[in-house]
Amino acid sequence: MFSRRAAVAILIAFAACTRSDAPPSRESDDFGDAIASGTAPVRIVSLNPATTDLLFALGVGQRMVGRTHWDLYPDSAKAVTDLGTGLRPNIEAVLGVKPDLVVLYASQDNRNAARQLRAAGVNTISLKIDHIADFHRAARLLGRIVGDSARGAAVSDSVARTIELVRAATEKLPKRRVFWHIWDAPLITIAAGSYMTELITIAGGENIYSEMPEPSPTVSIEDVLKRNPEYIISGPEGAIKIRSDPRWSAAPAVKAGRVLVADTTLVGRPSVRLGEAAASLAELLHPGVLR
Amino acid sequence: MIAALIALAIIAVGTGAVSIPPLDVLQAVRGMGEEGVVSIVQNLRLPRVILAALIGAALGMSGGALQGTLRNGLAEPYLLGVSGGAAVGAVIAFGTGAISNGVIAISAFAGATAAVMLALLVARAAGSGGRGDPRTLLMAGVVIGAFANAVIMIALANAPPNTIRGALWWMMGSVADTSWPGVGWLAAYVILGGAALIYWAREIDILALGEESAAALGVDVESAARRIYLLSALLAAATVAAAGLIGFVGLIVPHIVRAAGIRHHRPLLLASALVGATLVTGADLVARTVRPPGELPLGAVTAILGVPFFLAQLRRIA
Repeated sequence: MFSRRAAVAILIAFAACTRSDAPPSRESDDFGDAIASGTAPVRIVSLNPATTDLLFALGVGQRMVGRTHWDLYPDSAKAVTDLGTGLRPNIEAVLGVKPDLVVLYASQDNRNAARQLRAAGVNTISLKIDHIADFHRAARLLGRIVGDSARGAAVSDSVARTIELVRAATEKLPKRRVFWHIWDAPLITIAAGSYMTELITIAGGENIYSEMPEPSPTVSIEDVLKRNPEYIISGPEGAIKIRSDPRWSAAPAVKAGRVLVADTTLVGRPSVRLGEAAASLAELLHPGVLR
Repeated sequence: MIAALIALAIIAVGTGAVSIPPLDVLQAVRGMGEEGVVSIVQNLRLPRVILAALIGAALGMSGGALQGTLRNGLAEPYLLGVSGGAAVGAVIAFGTGAISNGVIAISAFAGATAAVMLALLVARAAGSGGRGDPRTLLMAGVVIGAFANAVIMIALANAPPNTIRGALWWMMGSVADTSWPGVGWLAAYVILGGAALIYWAREIDILALGEESAAALGVDVESAARRIYLLSALLAAATVAAAGLIGFVGLIVPHIVRAAGIRHHRPLLLASALVGATLVTGADLVARTVRPPGELPLGAVTAILGVPFFLAQLRRIA
C-alpha cells in the first residue's frame, strides 16, 4: 500500500516536473505552425547545418536519418543520409527515410515542404536561426522535443558562457571597424540580419554595414572604400583574391595588410560552436586578448 | 556624338560613392592628385567606364551587322545562341567553384563559341543545297539557346545558394568586376572585330538587298553571310565573357541609328558603336549610383533606359 502510494507520488512529482518544463498550451514554430508535443522522436531529419550540429550536441546524433548536403559537422554527421540541399527538399526522399521529426530552416523556400510534410503526418518544425538568440531558443526547444531539456539548457548555457567571456575580454578595447567579405561577384557582405554581425560586436569590432537590416546584402566596392574599414575579414579564398585584386588596393586596410582570414568552418553556422567562433574572431581583431 | 560620349565618360568616372570633380578626374587619369582618388579612378572607375563603352560599341555593331545580313529587324546577337552558350559555360565554371574572373570569362567565351558553331552547323545541315537560309540560321540559334537554358536550369536546380546568386548576378550583366587585363582583351576584340565588320560593310549593304540581288551583284552570299555572322557572334561572345549578359543593346541600338536616317552599313556600324557605348556607359552610371550601397543589374538598366527612347522613335523606325 505504502509503496504504491509512494510510486504514485513519484509519478505525480515526475509529471509535475515535466509539466513545468512543457510548452505553454500552444507553441508555434517560425512558420506559425503548432509544435506538437508527444513522445520523443527516434528518426530525425534535420535540413539545416545549424540544427544538425545542434542535434549531435544534444546527444541524439544516432537518431538522425537525414541531413543536407552541407551538414558536415560534426564528423559523424557525414555518416547520415544526404537528402540534398535543404531548401525546397525532395519530399519523397525525406519521407523515404521514414522520419518522425523533420527540422527545416524556416525560409520561404521551405514553406511548402513544411506543409506537405505535415500533411503526410510527419512532425515538422521550421526554425529560422539567423541570430544568436535564435540558436539559444532552438537549443532549448529541440532539447525538450528530443526528451532531454537539461541537455538543451546546458548546450545553450555553455555557448552563452563562452560568449560572455569573450565579450567581457573585449569590452574595454577600441572597436575595430570591420568589413566582412562573403562573396566576390556580386560583392556580398553581412549586415544586421546575421548572427555574424553580432559575433563581430562580441569580438570587439563593429560591422561597417550594421545599419542595413538584411542578413547578407550586396554592396559595391566603392561604397566599402568610402566607409573605409580598418579590417577586412574573409574566408581563405576571398583573402587571396582581395590581396591580389588591384581594385582592392585602394583600401587602406588592404595596404596595411589587415585582411584577416576567418575560420569558415567555425563562423559559418549559428550553432554549438558560436562561442568558439566569437573567440576566434576576437583573437583575429585583438590578438592575445583571450590569453 | 563622340563629344557626348567623352563628356559622359568623364562624368561617369567622377560619380560614385566617392564624388570626384571633373578636373580632378582628368588629373587622376594621368596619375596626379590624392593617392586614394588616383587609386579609385585608375583601378575602379576608369576600367569600368571603358569596359562599359567597349561592350556597348561591340553589341551595337554586332546587332547592326546581324540585322543587315539576316534582313531581320528582330535579329540580335543574343538570339543566335551566344548568350545561352556563354551562360552554360559560365554556370559550369561557377559550379566547379571557380571564383577567378579569368576562368569564368574563358569558359563563357568557349560556351558561346561552341553554341555559335553548333548553330552554324545545324543551319548548314538543314539548309537546302548548301545555301544557308537566314531563317534557318535564326531558328537554329533560337533552339540552341532554348537547349542552353534548360542545361542552366538543371545545373542551378541543386546548386548552393552562393553559386546561384553568383550565376544569376552574372546573367543579369555587370561591369563591377572589371580589371585592366579584361579591358585590354575586349578592346583588342572590339577593335579587330569592329574593323573587320566595317571593312566588309559594303557586303552587308548588298546582303541586305536580298540573296538574289546579292548573287546577281557577284557576292558569294553564303560565305559572306557566314563570315559576318561569325564575326558578329564572336564580338558578342567577347562582351559576354567580359561582363555577362547585357541584353537589349544589340537589338535596339541599330534601330535607333536607322531612325536617324543612316542606311549604309559603314556609317551605321560606326554610329551603332557610338550609341551603344553611350547607352551602356550611361546605364552603368545609373546602375551603380541609384541605390547605394548596392548596385542594380546593368542588363536591366540598359533596357529600362533604352526602351522609352526606342518607343519615342518607334514611329520613325516603323
